[in-house]
This record gives sequence, C-alpha cells and structure tokens, in this order.
Amino acid sequence: MKFTKYISILVFILVTSMASAQIKFEAKVSKQKLGVNERLRVDFEMNQDGDNFNPPDFSNFTVIGGPNQSVSNSWINGVRSFSKTYSYFLAPKGRGNFTLAQATINIGGETYKTTPVKIEVTAAVDIPKDPNNPDYIASENIHLVAEVSKTNPYLNEAITVVYKLYVSPNIAVDNWNEIDSPRYNDFWSQNIDTQGQKVQNGTFKGEDYRFLILRKTVLYPQKTGKLDIEPLSLDIALRVPTNRRDIFGSPLMSRANKVVSAGNSTITVKSLPESGKPIDFSGAVGDFSFDVNTSKKVLDASESFQLKVAVKGNGNLKLFKLPKLSLPSSLEVYEPEHNEDINTALAGMQGSISDSYTVVPQFKGKYPIPSVSFSYFDLKTETYKRLSSDEIVIDVLAGPLNNSGDNTGVANNGKQPVTLGNHQFAFIKTKTEFTSVDSNFFFKTKGFWSLLLLPFLAIPLAIVIRNKKATRDADVYGNRIRKADRLAKKYLSHAKKSLGKKEAFYIALEKALHNYLKAKLHIETGDLSKEIINEMLGEKQVENEVILDFNKILESCELARYTPIDIVTMQEDYDRAAKTISLIDKQAR
Amino acid sequence: MKMTLYILSFLLSLSFFAQNDVVFDKANTLYNEGKYADAISQYESILATRNHSAALYFNLGNAHYKLNHIAPSIYYYEKALQLDPNDSDIKNNLALAKNMTIDAINVIPEGGLSKILNKTTNSLTFDNWAKVSIGFVFCFVVLFLIYYFAYSSFRKRFAFLGSMTTLFLMCVTLLFAFHKFNLDKLDKPAIVFAQESSVKNEPNSRSDDAFNLHEGTKVQVLDTVNNWKKIKLQDGKTGWISSADIKAL
Repeated sequence: MKFTKYISILVFILVTSMASAQIKFEAKVSKQKLGVNERLRVDFEMNQDGDNFNPPDFSNFTVIGGPNQSVSNSWINGVRSFSKTYSYFLAPKGRGNFTLAQATINIGGETYKTTPVKIEVTAAVDIPKDPNNPDYIASENIHLVAEVSKTNPYLNEAITVVYKLYVSPNIAVDNWNEIDSPRYNDFWSQNIDTQGQKVQNGTFKGEDYRFLILRKTVLYPQKTGKLDIEPLSLDIALRVPTNRRDIFGSPLMSRANKVVSAGNSTITVKSLPESGKPIDFSGAVGDFSFDVNTSKKVLDASESFQLKVAVKGNGNLKLFKLPKLSLPSSLEVYEPEHNEDINTALAGMQGSISDSYTVVPQFKGKYPIPSVSFSYFDLKTETYKRLSSDEIVIDVLAGPLNNSGDNTGVANNGKQPVTLGNHQFAFIKTKTEFTSVDSNFFFKTKGFWSLLLLPFLAIPLAIVIRNKKATRDADVYGNRIRKADRLAKKYLSHAKKSLGKKEAFYIALEKALHNYLKAKLHIETGDLSKEIINEMLGEKQVENEVILDFNKILESCELARYTPIDIVTMQEDYDRAAKTISLIDKQAR
Repeated sequence: MKMTLYILSFLLSLSFFAQNDVVFDKANTLYNEGKYADAISQYESILATRNHSAALYFNLGNAHYKLNHIAPSIYYYEKALQLDPNDSDIKNNLALAKNMTIDAINVIPEGGLSKILNKTTNSLTFDNWAKVSIGFVFCFVVLFLIYYFAYSSFRKRFAFLGSMTTLFLMCVTLLFAFHKFNLDKLDKPAIVFAQESSVKNEPNSRSDDAFNLHEGTKVQVLDTVNNWKKIKLQDGKTGWISSADIKAL
C-alpha cells in the first residue's frame, strides 16, 4: 500500500516534468522602433536543440553580424534548462514599417515557426556615445520640470510656478541640494511651504515615473512684456544601474552626480487695458469687496472714534495702497494703522487689508466723511470695476463751536457752568422783507453827481445875488423907477390882457387907475371924485402936469365908451397910464 | 397811458411780494416738518421771481445743511451775509457749515492800518457812503453861506470852521465810497461746488496740478480765460480752476 503511494507520487512528478518541458521557439528584437542610423539585434531562441534553422529573409536590412550561435545548458537543483540562440545584427536600409518574417526550425521531427515581428524605422536619432555611461542614463531617467500656470497673464495677476522632479523607477536618488535658486526679478514672489511632500506616482512623456514637488511659488508680475523665469538648478546624487550584475543577477548600481535644471521659461505679461482705466486705480487686480465704516456715528467733541477702510478678497492685496481719506479739516486725524490678514495659497493672495484711522472731532457740528472709491481690475470679466463707500455723517452733539475764539475754559471752582445756548444750530428766520435782486445803485449815477456838485454852484450864485442886491440897494433912483414900473405892471396887467377890446379895456383901465389911487392915497371908493384926487395928489407934491395927465386919462376912459377908438389909441392910452402911474409914484411923498 | 402802466406794474409787483410771503411761510412750515427738499424748491421759487432777502438765503442754507449739502449751504449762508453782514445767526450757522469742509486754509491776518481802513470801508455800502457825502455837501453849502452872510464875527468864525470840517468830511466819505466801490468790484467770491477739483497752473487741462480743492471752499475769482477762472485762496495761493467747478456768489 505504502509502495503504491510512493509510485503514484513519482509518476505525478514525472508527468509534471514532462508537461513543463514544452518546446519554445521565439524571435526577440532589441527594439521595435529605431532610427535609421541605429542597429537592431534579433535573437531566435529555442529551449530544445533542433536542426535545420532557417532564418527569415532580411530583405530590408543589411546583416552586419551573425548568425552567432550560443548555447547554454544548466542544471539547477536537478532541473535542466537549455537554450540555444541564433543572433543577427541588422541595419535598416531605409525608413518605413517592416515585418521580420518567420524563421523555421526542426525540433524532434517537427517544424516550429516564430511569429512575425513588426519593426518601425524612423528618421535618424542621436545616438548617445555610450549607452552605459551613468551620466547618460541619469539624464534619461531624471527630469526637473517647472510648470507655469499661465504664460500670458495680466500685470499683477497671480501665476504659480511648480517645480517637479521626475525620477524613473530605474534609478535611485540619494540626496540633492539647490545650487541656484531662481531670483524672480520683476516679480513679487512668495514660496509656498512644501515641507513633508510625499513622492507620488505619475507619468512623464507617457512613461511611468515617480515625482516630487520641490517648490511652489506664487508670482505677481510687476512689469509688462516678456519676462524670464530663471531656472532652478539642483545637484543630485543618484545611483544608476550598470550592465554588470551581481551574483544574484540584479544589476550593480553605480553612483553618479547630476546637475539638472528646469528649463528657462518665458512668460508674456499683458499690460492692463488703458481704456476705461479709472483715475483712482492704484493697481489692484483680482476680485475685491470694499468697506468703510466707523465705530461711532454720534458722539461728543474730543471723544475718539475709529474709521476703518478695508478691502477684502483675492488678488494682489500686498501690492497696492488703500485709497486715502479726505476728511474735514476740523477733525483731528491720526496716522492710520495698517493691518494685513493675508494667506498666500497656490491661487494667490487671499484675505483682507485695512487702514484704521483714529479720529477726534474738536468742535460741535456735522462732519460728512465723503464717499471714497476703490477701483480694481476684475480678471474674470477683464474690466475695471469701481466700488464706492456710502457717505457717513458724523454728528458731534456737544462741544465748542468752531471759530469761537473767546471759548477759553474759565476755571470754575466746583460750580456747574451754565453753558450758553449760543452754539446751537440756529433755526430758520420766519419774517422777511423781499427786495428785488436787480438792485440799481445810486453811486456814480447822474443824480449822484448832480447832487454832489450842484450845491457848490449855490455858493457863487448866492454871492452874485447878494452883490446885485447891494448895488440895487445903492441905486435909489433906479429903485424907484423899478418900483413904479412894477406897480404899473401890477395894476395894468388886467387892462393889458383886454387890449384891443375897447369896452373891456377902458373899464379895466379905469378900474386899475382907481385901484392904484386907492392904494396910494388910502381913499375909500365912495369919495373918489376928480377934486379930491387933485387935492390929494397936490398934497403929495405931485406936479400939476402929471395930475393933468391923470385926469386926461380918466376922461378918455369915460369918453371911449361912446366914441369909436382903434387899437393904436388904446395902446397910447395904456402907455400913458403906465407912465403917469410911475410918475405919480415917483413924485408922491 | 404811461402812468397807468407804472401803476399797473407797481400793483403787480405788490401782488408778487404778497405771493412770495405766502410761499415763504409755506416753505418754513415744510422746513419745520423736516421736508427740507420740498422747502428748498419753495424757497427757490421765490428766488425765481427775482426777489431775495437775507432771511431767504439763510433758510435755504439751513435746509441744505440739514440735507448735508456742503457747498450749497455755505453758498447761501455767504449770500445771506452779503445782504446782512452783521447777523449773528448767519455767522453761527456758517461756522457750523464750514466744519463740513475738507480744505484747511489759513487766513493771512491783515496789518494794523489796512485792517482799520478796510473795517471802516466795509461798515457801509458804497451807496450809503455816497449818500453821506451828499449830506455833507449840503451841510457845507449851508454853513458856508451862513459864514458869508453872517454879520457877527463869532457866528462867522463858527460857521467857517463848521463848513471847512464838513468839506473835509465830505472828501473823506467820498474817498471811502470810491474805495468801497473798488473793493466791491474786485471782490468776486465763489464757492467750490465740485466734490474735488484740481487747480491747475495754467488755464488748460494739460498743465500740472497746483493743488486740490474740495467742496465748500471759498475762493476769490481774479480772471477768466475761456472756461477757466483764475482763483485766489484766502492764504494767497493762486491757480486756475474749471468754471464748472465753482459758483460765483
């Protein structure tokens, strides 16, 4: 029983060994894609010896070497492994896609064929001098890349540069140190902490690589035009595999030092558009909100309040100035305190900046804090935007009034001072009298000049008049004549008016003469006869001739009523009457 | 015909006055109710009839002050002060309104003699100075004639002295009238109405900014070129400002 068990195990082992001894016949190429100036090695490998090897037709290639035959035969732990290889070195005759046809061999009476292999021959490639040079291997397997997020940003738009070190799985990096750090001239830059970064897996040019983020930098271009980002250079100590192998078959590593640098990249910085650029634009680019607020709005004089001007958002917060406030001159304003609360992430700066002013009003009154505007360039819409704060009115309730110079504090000895209500805002006036807006002035008008100068004329006038009067007073005779004339005129004026109308004239003339005599001789109307007249006139020392004349005129007045008289006679009578009256007046004493 | 026209126009103006009083009372009521904007439009309707008064300007200034209009309130207070230079209410509220302005301008103090001279000159309007001098002319003429015609030597002496004094006073008041007239002609104050205005060195927009002025500042206009006005501040600075930014009093 035990015996049969052993036999069955033995049989089982034999069968498996039989199964493992399958025949393989393969064609292996060193590369499937090669340059026209490269060489190709083709191996036809079998694991049992055969006869009658028949290579394919290498019509598109020149056979440079081969066939080389190699046979290896090894016993490991009682298991035999065998391999026999025919090798050919081929050089392509031209570019194109070629197929290596099947090779045949006869093993154990059976014919085996390889599968056809497709070969692509491309344009000539640079052939490294020595493919086993560690430097070459290192340069093929390690790459430092600078990834720039945007190559044509606006001025002051945040861009990021990420340096990644790609390492192929074939080589090992021992250590590195930076030999040249980029200095980012013409940029505002900030490094983002990359401590504790883990090695990640990724692909580089389609191949599997491990990569490590060495450095992240946020850049704000400060100049327009083409700007260079300086390369980062690293000195890397690494181990590369050689083609020698240790006794266990794994390749031996050789140490190498390699200087790698990320390529010099150039970005083109666009200037911000000139059209629609606000006057108060101070260079802010991003997306912001703007706020102005005060800690108090109603307070007393000499109390203080805080006035805060703040900008929040994403953008170049550290790179612009907050708008300045223009406050009423009667407010005491201290230098603002600048606060920044900014986080810099890969997307750029984020947070808020603020200026807080301490303001102390000195006097009672209302103080408007004018609207302040803040402009920025919005990258999303690529337009300028302006944010304005609301006007804030600070109401100072109690305190001294401005412009009151006599408001010096008087030392009060523990008594409550009675504050004068004078400093209150006065109410409107309820009574008024309107005058025309278009007032005409008196000064420099004709009326003004005449009123000013004419009174002066009164002085010489008065002097002349006075002088005239003096000379007249001196001339006694002339005075009498003038007086008589005046009398005649006075009494005969009525008669003169009716000159030409006979009846009326003589009535008037007679009446005038009577009136004259009445006035002169103080006689009543009743006793006015010729005799009395003559007597009275005689008493007054009037010459007889004149008395006769007078009588004659009176007679002619009576006569005229009954006789036709023409205008010449009337005139004569009138003249005579005038003359007689003046003579009587002269002679009468 | 002409006479009736005069009478008609006189009556018309009387009715205008009466109407204005009604509007004034109405505006005052609106002001007291806090409807400042309505009150302003009522007050301005009175101004539109070409009539004014110190109280009207004062009330307009108050209404604008209540609405925090800096420049208009100062403008109307200054207008009111022009008509009534000694009113304490107007001065008080003007000082409060001036607190709202931004520009701090130091007034250069005047020297002793010119201060006295200007104070005296400004105490009367030039029309009143002219009237006073005419009064002195009449006094002089009367006194001189008294001197001329008087017989007693005491009276003559007294009248002569009096007439010479009045002649001298007449000359002085006439000089004051001319001085005041010239001062008024040179005095062209204006108030800055623009919230902020840059004052240039030359009357064109290319030239450099000399300084900036803010709303409510009082300036003196010296000269005009096209749309630019040469202004002088109370501290003596001069420059050119756009005509649209200021409003003459």
